Amino acid sequence: MSNTPAHTRPGSPRVITHAAALLRPFLALIIVGLVFFLIQWHKLGYTTDPTQLARMVTVMDLRMVAIQTVIVGTAAIGMTLVIASGGLDLSVGSAVALCSVVGAMAVRDGWPIALAAGAAVLVGAACGMYNGLLITILRLPPFIVTLGTLGLFRGVAKWIAGGMPVSADPGWLAAFVSPVPSPGWLVVAPGVWLMLALALVAAFALRRTVLGRHTIAVGSNELAAKYAGVHIARTKIMVYVSAGLFVGLAGLLQFARLTQGDPTVAIGIELDVIAAVVIGGASLSGGRGSVLGALVGAFMMAYMKNRCVRLGWPSFVQEMIVGHIIIIAVAIDLWRQRREAAA
Amino acid sequence: MHIPTHTCRTIFALFCAASVAGLLGSCGRDGSDQPSSAADGADPAPLRIAVVPKGTTHDFWKSVHAGAKRAEHSLGGVEVTFTGPEREDDRAQQVALVENLISAGYDAIVLAPLDDTALVAPVRLATRSGIPVVIIDSGLNAEVGTDYVSFIATDNHQGGRMAGQHMVELLEGTGRVLLLRYQEGSASTRLREQGFVDALAEAEGIELIDPGRYAGATRATAQEAAENLLTTYDNLDGIFCPNESATFGMLLALRSRDMAGTIRFVGFDASEGLVKALADRDIDALVVQNPIRMGELGVRAAVEHLRGAQQEPRIDTGVMLITPDTMDSTEARDLISPDFSALDNP
Repeated sequence: MSNTPAHTRPGSPRVITHAAALLRPFLALIIVGLVFFLIQWHKLGYTTDPTQLARMVTVMDLRMVAIQTVIVGTAAIGMTLVIASGGLDLSVGSAVALCSVVGAMAVRDGWPIALAAGAAVLVGAACGMYNGLLITILRLPPFIVTLGTLGLFRGVAKWIAGGMPVSADPGWLAAFVSPVPSPGWLVVAPGVWLMLALALVAAFALRRTVLGRHTIAVGSNELAAKYAGVHIARTKIMVYVSAGLFVGLAGLLQFARLTQGDPTVAIGIELDVIAAVVIGGASLSGGRGSVLGALVGAFMMAYMKNRCVRLGWPSFVQEMIVGHIIIIAVAIDLWRQRREAAA
Repeated sequence: MHIPTHTCRTIFALFCAASVAGLLGSCGRDGSDQPSSAADGADPAPLRIAVVPKGTTHDFWKSVHAGAKRAEHSLGGVEVTFTGPEREDDRAQQVALVENLISAGYDAIVLAPLDDTALVAPVRLATRSGIPVVIIDSGLNAEVGTDYVSFIATDNHQGGRMAGQHMVELLEGTGRVLLLRYQEGSASTRLREQGFVDALAEAEGIELIDPGRYAGATRATAQEAAENLLTTYDNLDGIFCPNESATFGMLLALRSRDMAGTIRFVGFDASEGLVKALADRDIDALVVQNPIRMGELGVRAAVEHLRGAQQEPRIDTGVMLITPDTMDSTEARDLISPDFSALDNP
């Protein structure tokens, strides 16, 4: 497998398979959206009253879903890079908490907001670098290393915060993640636009830059990449550091959302992040990943949460459905890999 | 155009998932999207009130739910939806939940904020969006009247104070008393802890041991914290815990070390297990609140506000100290084995 997702088969032009791969997560989102629409419509007695129909999915709903996508989505951009390189990062939730605490403490201690934001993001990068160094120097599986740092980062967060949430006024950052943005024409919070912009940059970097192509090469076949002259360790460390920057940003946004740095926040969020990336079309065995797909995956999960509230369902319904969507997404991925191997 | 086979499979697989979701939908409870009967002009659409507890695992919230249902039945024209985060330290989940309730267009929200700071922004957003919020159980760092309608809760400081005074009586004025705190950021329990500390400070012979340890959100975390404290501090004469999960965790730790009943133990809130421990005299006293009343008054205040009536900014729902000797009185029975019948016929 080379540096582009290779699932070309005889008889189907490359462009179409490529487009299909790109659209697959959107397709899943549309189906989920349609199903929830039908359930809701059923409950409304298949009404044709335009005011009732207009109230089924409102702009406010989309604003809420968008802001609730931001933290998982931002972290998922980084996780896509990691998974495309054949790695995995279980420490995301803990690192988000640590970065949110760092941001809050810096603001509380009188740092300018921009400087505190920079500190939070850099701490995220440092967490990523620590993961990357341990993985490459000790030659351990990323699963093990990040399982260890999951405990480490959480512990450090609790330690520096003294075991309690650090309240601080996030200043202009609060407006950044306010679900209803102050210039109304933005429609969704500025933080959502930032996430989308960064996703475009990351998607471009993954496909068009040397580091991006090396990342996919390492994820596809590490040995082949090595013989082709790719510096494996340096690539991996760069991948984890870049992912760490996104995790740091996610932590900063988490601080802004809660107006406090909470060392117990985002427990288990890594599973949502991995789920978003997998639903988005990445392969857990590496070599393939779609940044935009991951955002769609994150959006889909937040959307289901929003719909469950709208339908009066408890939140575990959403967990049960997401669980199966992940299984289906991975099953499709493996099925395709076997087909490719056979072809 | 040729559609790749795997795309077809994706569609098929997702339809499978969708049908599962559909099945769930048909057996799920009837939610908020009932067709409004206003269309046929019979009676006006019911007021939809969302009640958001701090968590859904404690018995306390079941009582709040029962109270909210009682208000729903007695008021008429009201539809109560009870939904909350599973874990009582999941601030992010409660924030997202309130946001989704806003966008779902509920008429009012009755909220027990699990953090006095983190929930300020969503509450303000609700009020700005024309959805009044009534705060119950635990305080919020915001302006009553402008940011929310009313604060309906136990006088927690008084509850802690009663616990402290009873502890002093039990120990006849001398001894070492340990305080296991509940969780940072929880305003209600902080007040109870403060009330307890204030009452002990009035008795000269009592030494308060307050290591600043927190029980955490669940019985499991409380048990762990309690075990660590009981290993660290010996020669204790009394213990106070400020809520149900902390009290239960401490009870488990005391029992596993065969210390239950040997140390004067005052807890807060009631649950089946705690009431049984009180009867067995493993616990010497429980300060109980009136969560049924809290749920009932919360919904009532929200509805009356919507119907145009002025609401008191602060409503006290009362506390009572129950000992093994007084637990069989009718008054105590109402609080420690509450009537959940309202929950059975929704």
